[in-house]
Amino acid sequence: MSAIGAKPAAGAAVDTPSMIIGIIIMLVVIAATYFLFGSGLAFMALIGVIVGGILIGFGVHFVPVGGAPAAMGQAPGIATGVAMLGAGAGLAGLFGGAWAAELGVVVATITGAIGGGLLMAITCMFVNFIYVFGMGIPAASGKVAKDPITGDTQTEFKSQGTEGHGLPFVSYVGGVVGGLFGGAGGTLVYMSLLDVYKDGLPAVLGATMSAEVVPIAVTLAGMFAIGIFLVNAVLAAYNITGTIEGPHDPKFKRFPRSIVGSATASAICGIVAIMIVAL
Amino acid sequence: MSIKVEKIEGGVPNSTIMAAGLIASLVCVYLTYANVLTGTQFFSFFGGLATVAALVWGSNTIKHLCSYGIGTGVPSAGMIAFGSGVIAMLFATKFGIAAPIVAVILAAVIGVIIGFVSNNVINMRIPVMIQSLTEMAIIGALTMMGYAAMMTGSFTLQSLSTGSMVFLGLSLPSYQISFLGGGLVAAAFMLGAIAIQHPFNACLGPNWTQDRMLMLGAECGFLSMIVAAVMSLPLISMSAALVSLIVALAGWFYTYTKYIELARRDAFDWVDAKPIPEVEGH
Amino acid sequence: MESIVFGIGITALAGALATVAGAAENTESDIGSQGDPNSQVQLAPQMGYIHRIFNKAVAGEPPAWGLWIALGAGIAWAFMAMQINPILALVLGSALAVFVQGAYATTAYLGRTASLAKFGQPVFIDVLKSMLTVTMAHAFVAIFATVTMCHLINTALGHPFPLPLLGIVWGIALGAAGSATGNPFYGKERQYQNQKFGAGVPIAASGNIVRYAEAGERNSLDNGWFSARLGGPASGVCFGLIVFFELWRTVIFEHMGAGWGAIIIGIIIILVFMMIDRYIEIWARKNYGPYTKPEEASS
Repeated sequence: MSAIGAKPAAGAAVDTPSMIIGIIIMLVVIAATYFLFGSGLAFMALIGVIVGGILIGFGVHFVPVGGAPAAMGQAPGIATGVAMLGAGAGLAGLFGGAWAAELGVVVATITGAIGGGLLMAITCMFVNFIYVFGMGIPAASGKVAKDPITGDTQTEFKSQGTEGHGLPFVSYVGGVVGGLFGGAGGTLVYMSLLDVYKDGLPAVLGATMSAEVVPIAVTLAGMFAIGIFLVNAVLAAYNITGTIEGPHDPKFKRFPRSIVGSATASAICGIVAIMIVAL
Repeated sequence: MSIKVEKIEGGVPNSTIMAAGLIASLVCVYLTYANVLTGTQFFSFFGGLATVAALVWGSNTIKHLCSYGIGTGVPSAGMIAFGSGVIAMLFATKFGIAAPIVAVILAAVIGVIIGFVSNNVINMRIPVMIQSLTEMAIIGALTMMGYAAMMTGSFTLQSLSTGSMVFLGLSLPSYQISFLGGGLVAAAFMLGAIAIQHPFNACLGPNWTQDRMLMLGAECGFLSMIVAAVMSLPLISMSAALVSLIVALAGWFYTYTKYIELARRDAFDWVDAKPIPEVEGH
Repeated sequence: MESIVFGIGITALAGALATVAGAAENTESDIGSQGDPNSQVQLAPQMGYIHRIFNKAVAGEPPAWGLWIALGAGIAWAFMAMQINPILALVLGSALAVFVQGAYATTAYLGRTASLAKFGQPVFIDVLKSMLTVTMAHAFVAIFATVTMCHLINTALGHPFPLPLLGIVWGIALGAAGSATGNPFYGKERQYQNQKFGAGVPIAASGNIVRYAEAGERNSLDNGWFSARLGGPASGVCFGLIVFFELWRTVIFEHMGAGWGAIIIGIIIILVFMMIDRYIEIWARKNYGPYTKPEEASS
């Protein structure tokens, strides 16, 4: 991500009236779906999309991203943009989850979660590998004095003039957890929409056999999953203003705003996605 | 250390570009309907021209939004634009001839809600956030619709999901060889998402000039149109695809050379194989 | 049994292709200077350090590579749908995607450098001419390897996603893994080679990238040469392991326990990597020791 700045950070303030409006919008969408389409497949799909969106947005908060300073060893975290790193993990998870689609929603979602977590586990390990063996720099956090999980002291391993570097163990675990949530969320959105489309597309397209329209259903569900994933990941990136060290970072406490935001955005995107076949 | 992006005054105002882009894009998408009226597919290239208009408009919208300093990078704005736009566009294709208008209205609704979420729930408090995200959702929807019309000849759900497959010399209808069945919607999505943010991202800096950025927007649009024309080969007739390809190549060549001229005009110096000039103090 | 052996063979081939792709991706983005380290290339003229490095500001690596791979996959799919030989289709698709990548790289360099006119950074046409073809060549290797891998996953292993959708997924994953692994090595070790080894770049030194080096004025080919020593192979192994483990656990274990077999193996692999990472972290703390105060007053 390019370096644009000069605006003061959004801060951690919670605008309660707007949060309430957001929750109301989500409830209105859920109610409209219930009244229009009953409590069948479409309604369950909408709930699935909203829960998936919340998981995605929440998961992005765990991923340790340092942005441009991390590429110079000046800040801890991974030196990539947070929305796209989350998208990489989540989409790799979606890949695995889509492959397991015939095994049911629960198994597919957990498989997707493991896929996302696996990408993050391997990537974060290689980040530390490069820092330690390629650059001679140990991992150190700039936000806490002791690692919350391992108890390692951080300050004396932080080089002079920097805010920390590498991935301390809590950031590593944060990355894996973020990948788990992102993969699970993306797969849940995909599975919910896939069920609705496999059910409703034959009637909409005038096809005789439902097996024929499976490619269309897969692509539509996959494209919507990617679109909803990116919207939620970017909203979460806006929430943390670009960089975060992991779950121990004070910025992590901003996540309630993101949960309401993701719920609202996913609700409206979800109902539009469902209305392709339900309306 | 980050680059300070100042709000640059002057140039064509955003509202003018928005009106021009919206009208041009909608008109071009509707011109592809001439395919249905004449029973051919030769007017598909208007879909590509619609995407060029929308992307030029989009580059200015992103500049408008990002010059307030959103704290994260420019590419994420393109992603959120297309993420919300593709959802609106795919739903709107159900409505036959009214599809582009429905796409614009629905994208505007989604964009307002997402803008409200970003500005008020996420508390970004940028003055033009809601308007910009609405504009970008509309641009995303129109660009996707333009690519769909260009690659399949029409913008209805039926045309996006059926194509034909040649089997033992016979032409059979197929769901797999189609814009949706083959997943070309994914390639069009990424084409648009990178093309919308590239003009501002590439012209970023203290000597940003609007005409250079808009020319780059047109260049990205035509470049994407070239590859979209290649991808349309199995879905529309060979001659129609060739028409799109020739229009795209001509447009790209013109905008590309013009862009290089404008970059040469704006650059501090344009040298070939010279050493680093000495600046005093370093 | 036969199908599992076939699946393992395809998995191994896909893992090997992914390794090559990851290495080429990292070298391409280091020669072009893309992503987060590019912010230093952008910053240097503003601090008065004029340079001859290629300033390729085309989004970040994940979205850009998502585009190249999805594009290569889309064009390959279109050619395959016209009954053209699959291998020829993959080559043509990758070639057209590289053409688009080259056009984006050129416009990015010209645009960013022209917008830095205020600080006296000239546009070096010879930099453009010599770097562009090299970065396009590495991009072709990476795109071809990844699109072929996606084609194998779709056709030979039977994944439901069509080729372009697989292209987006693996393109963004390639960019994310390659950029995470390769960016710090390029940014700290090579761009700031004159800073002390074994410590991060102090904030006061931002912008002071290396511009004069071993053989005269440094250019991006020198940077690519360096980062291909460790950053490239590490990114390659990283992405290769990701693809390999993801496919391996599915192909072998998915039908055990109605899918739970693959999940349990996945959890075990994650825990193994967690332990390796913890070992690396402890090794660094033990062997490098904490930073000591400098003896002189000036730092």
